Amino acid sequence: MAPAPVVEVKGLVKKYGDRIAVEGASFSINEGEIFGLLGPNGAGKSTTISILCTLLPPDGGEVTICNCDLRRETDRIKTLIGFVPQELALYPTLSAWDNLAFFGRIYGLRGESLKERVASGLSLAGLSDRAKDAVQTFSGGMKRRLNIAASLIHQPRILFLDEPTVGVDPQSRNFIFEHVERLRAEGMTILYTTHYMEEVERLCDRVAIMDKGRIVALDSVKGLLDLLGGGIIYAGLPAEAARKLQPSIESLSHVRSVSAQDNRLKIETLNARKALLELINLCNEQDVSILSLEVLEPNLESVFLHLTGKRLRE
Amino acid sequence: MRLSQILALTWKDLKIFFKDRGAVVLIFLQPMMFIVVMSYALSGIYRSGEDRPIRLLAVNQDQGKQGAALLRQLGEMKGFQVETVWEGQPLTREKVERLIIEGKRNLALIFPSDFSSVLEQSPGNQDRKRTKILFIVDPTTSSQFVEPILGTLQGLLERTTYTAMVPKGIDYLFERLAPQTSLPERKAFKSRAEETMSGGMLGEREPLVTVEKVVPPGMRVGKFPDTFQQNVPGYTIYGVFWIVNLLAGSVLREKREGTFRRLLTAPIGRAVMLAGKMLPYYIINLVQLLLMLSVSSLLFGMSLGHSGAGLVAVSLAVAATATGLGVLVSAIVRTETQMSGLTVLLLLGLSAMGGCFVPRFIMPPWLRTVGLVTPHAWALDAYQDLLVRGYQFFEVLPKVGVLAAFAVLFFVIGVWRFRFE
Repeated sequence: MAPAPVVEVKGLVKKYGDRIAVEGASFSINEGEIFGLLGPNGAGKSTTISILCTLLPPDGGEVTICNCDLRRETDRIKTLIGFVPQELALYPTLSAWDNLAFFGRIYGLRGESLKERVASGLSLAGLSDRAKDAVQTFSGGMKRRLNIAASLIHQPRILFLDEPTVGVDPQSRNFIFEHVERLRAEGMTILYTTHYMEEVERLCDRVAIMDKGRIVALDSVKGLLDLLGGGIIYAGLPAEAARKLQPSIESLSHVRSVSAQDNRLKIETLNARKALLELINLCNEQDVSILSLEVLEPNLESVFLHLTGKRLRE
Repeated sequence: MRLSQILALTWKDLKIFFKDRGAVVLIFLQPMMFIVVMSYALSGIYRSGEDRPIRLLAVNQDQGKQGAALLRQLGEMKGFQVETVWEGQPLTREKVERLIIEGKRNLALIFPSDFSSVLEQSPGNQDRKRTKILFIVDPTTSSQFVEPILGTLQGLLERTTYTAMVPKGIDYLFERLAPQTSLPERKAFKSRAEETMSGGMLGEREPLVTVEKVVPPGMRVGKFPDTFQQNVPGYTIYGVFWIVNLLAGSVLREKREGTFRRLLTAPIGRAVMLAGKMLPYYIINLVQLLLMLSVSSLLFGMSLGHSGAGLVAVSLAVAATATGLGVLVSAIVRTETQMSGLTVLLLLGLSAMGGCFVPRFIMPPWLRTVGLVTPHAWALDAYQDLLVRGYQFFEVLPKVGVLAAFAVLFFVIGVWRFRFE
C-alpha cells in the first residue's frame, strides 16, 4: 500500500503582475519522504515553498497539507509546518536559549514544556554549552544549526527547507545533510529546495525539476537518471561524414540510439565512456575528424541540461 | 589594479544610490529643509529689530498725558511696535489678556488711570501716592526675552518720571528757599532736594511707579517659569519622537534578516505582529517621559504643575503619537538610507517647526501656523499648559484629543501601507 500523501499540490499558479512565477505545478509529498525541488535561480522554487508555507497566497490551483486546505485552514496548517528560510532568521543580539524560547512562545509553548523543547533544540543543534551566548558570537555553522532548531521547536509534521546551504561552508553543509538525514530517520516529512544537484542526489527520495515556473520532470533520483540511460554524447562531425557514419554508430555495442540535432549527432548510450571509445575508434578507422565532443554523464545536472537545454547554474 | 578596483566599487555604489530615488530626494531635501526652517525660525533672534519688531500690546488708562508720552517714546524706539488697537477697536485689559491666552501675543502693558497724577504730584506732599504699571506676560515666554524688554521699559519710565518731576522740584525749591529758614530746616531741605533731584523716580525710599510682572488670569503659576520648565518639554518631545528611528530600524532589520518571514509562517496574525512591534516602543516612550520629567523635578527642582492626571494623559497621548509615526515611517521606507534620511528630516524638521528648539512666539506668523500641523507643537503646548501655565486636567483635554487624532491618523495610514515581506 502506497504511503499517504501529506502535501498535495494541483495546478498551482502564482503571478507577479504579468510575470508568471509558477505555472500549473502539480506534485505530492508522501509522509516520511524527503522531496526535492531542483532548479536554477528564478525557476519558481522559492515562490512554491513560500505558498506552501502560507507566506504568499496562490493565484490558482489547489494545495492541501495534512488534508487541510491552504486557503481556508491557514492557521491549522501553520501549526503543522516548520520553515527554515534561506536567511539566518535569528536575533543576533539574543542568546541561543532566548531565540528558541521566543519562537517556542510564539507557538504557544510555556513553562516546563517550553524549557524541555528549548533544551532539546539546543542539544539537537549541539549548542547546549553555548545556550547563554549571543548568537552574533557564533560561527556560521552554529548559526545554521540554530536556524534549523528554531524551525523544529514546535515539533512540526512537515519541514520546509529553502536552499539551506546557500553561502554555507563545506563543514556546515555536511552538518545540515546529517541533520536532515537524522530527521528523515525520525519520520519527518521534508521539502528541500536547492540548485545543487549533489544535495538532491544525496538526500532526496523523489525530485521535481523546475524551470521557468513549470515542473519539467518528477521522479525518484534513479528514475530521472534513467532518462539519460548510460549518458549522452554530442559529437560534431563534418555533415557528409555524419550522414554516412550514423548507421555504423547506431550499431556500436554501447549505443542505444542516434539522432541529428543542431548540426551534431546526439548519441544516447548504455555506457558513455565505453561508447566514446567505440566512437573514436570508428572515426579513426573511417578517417573522419571529430570537430566537437560533449559527454553528459548520467547525473541530475545532465538530466536538467537534457530536459531544458541549459545548465542548473546558468 | 587597486585604483581600478576602487573606481569600480565607487561606480557601483553611485549607481545603486542614484537608482534609489527616495534616498536621493531625502539626501538633498533634508539639508535644504533644515536650512529653510531653521533660518526662518531663528530670524527673530538674528534679524535687526526694524523688520521684525517686538510687539507690545498696550492699554493706556492714564487720564493725563504722561502715559501716552511714554508709549509714544516706546513706539519710536527701534525694535518695538506698540499696539493700542486690535481689529479697529481700542484695546482693553480683558482683550489683551484674551489675546495672550489665545497665544496671539505674549506681552502687554496696562498703564493705570493715575499714572500722570502720581508723577506730577508735588515733592512736598506729606502723603505721596504710588502706582503700578502692569506688565502682562505669557509665562511660556523665555525670561531671556522678557528681561531685556523689562529693563528697557524701566529705563524709559525713569526718564519720564524724572522729566515730569523736575519742574515740580524746582517750584518746590523756590517756595522753600527763604533767608529766614532755620539751620535744621535747611539741612532737612537739602537732604530732601538731593533725593528728589537725583533719584528721578525715587520719591521717599520706594519708587513712585513700579512695574509689576503678572500672568493672565487662569494661568495659575506661583512664580515665573525657570529654564527647565521652558526647555524640558521641548527637548523631551524632541527625544520622544526619536522612537520613530528605533521602530523603523527594527522593522527593517526584521525584514532583512528574515525573522518576519519566519514569524509569518507561525500561527500569529499580522495585527498581532504589528501590535507586538509597537507596544515595546510605546512602553519605552513612557519610561523615557517618566525619566525625563522625574529627573528634571528631582534633580533640578522643576515644578510639575498642579495636575498629575493631566501629565499622565498628555504623556500617554504623546507616546502614542510618536509610536504611530514610527509605524507610518516603517511602512514607507524600504532601505536603511531612506530610513535614516526620512527620520532625520522628520524628527528635526518637525521639532524645529513645532517649537522644540526655538520658541514659536518669535517665529513669523505663517511659520507659527504651519507649526500647528506638527504633533510637536500641540504636545509642547500641552506640557507648557501643565508645567508653566498651571492648567488642570480638563483644560488640556482638547490638546490631548488633537494628539490622539494624530496618533490614530499615523497608525491607520501606517497599518494600511505596511508590508511584512
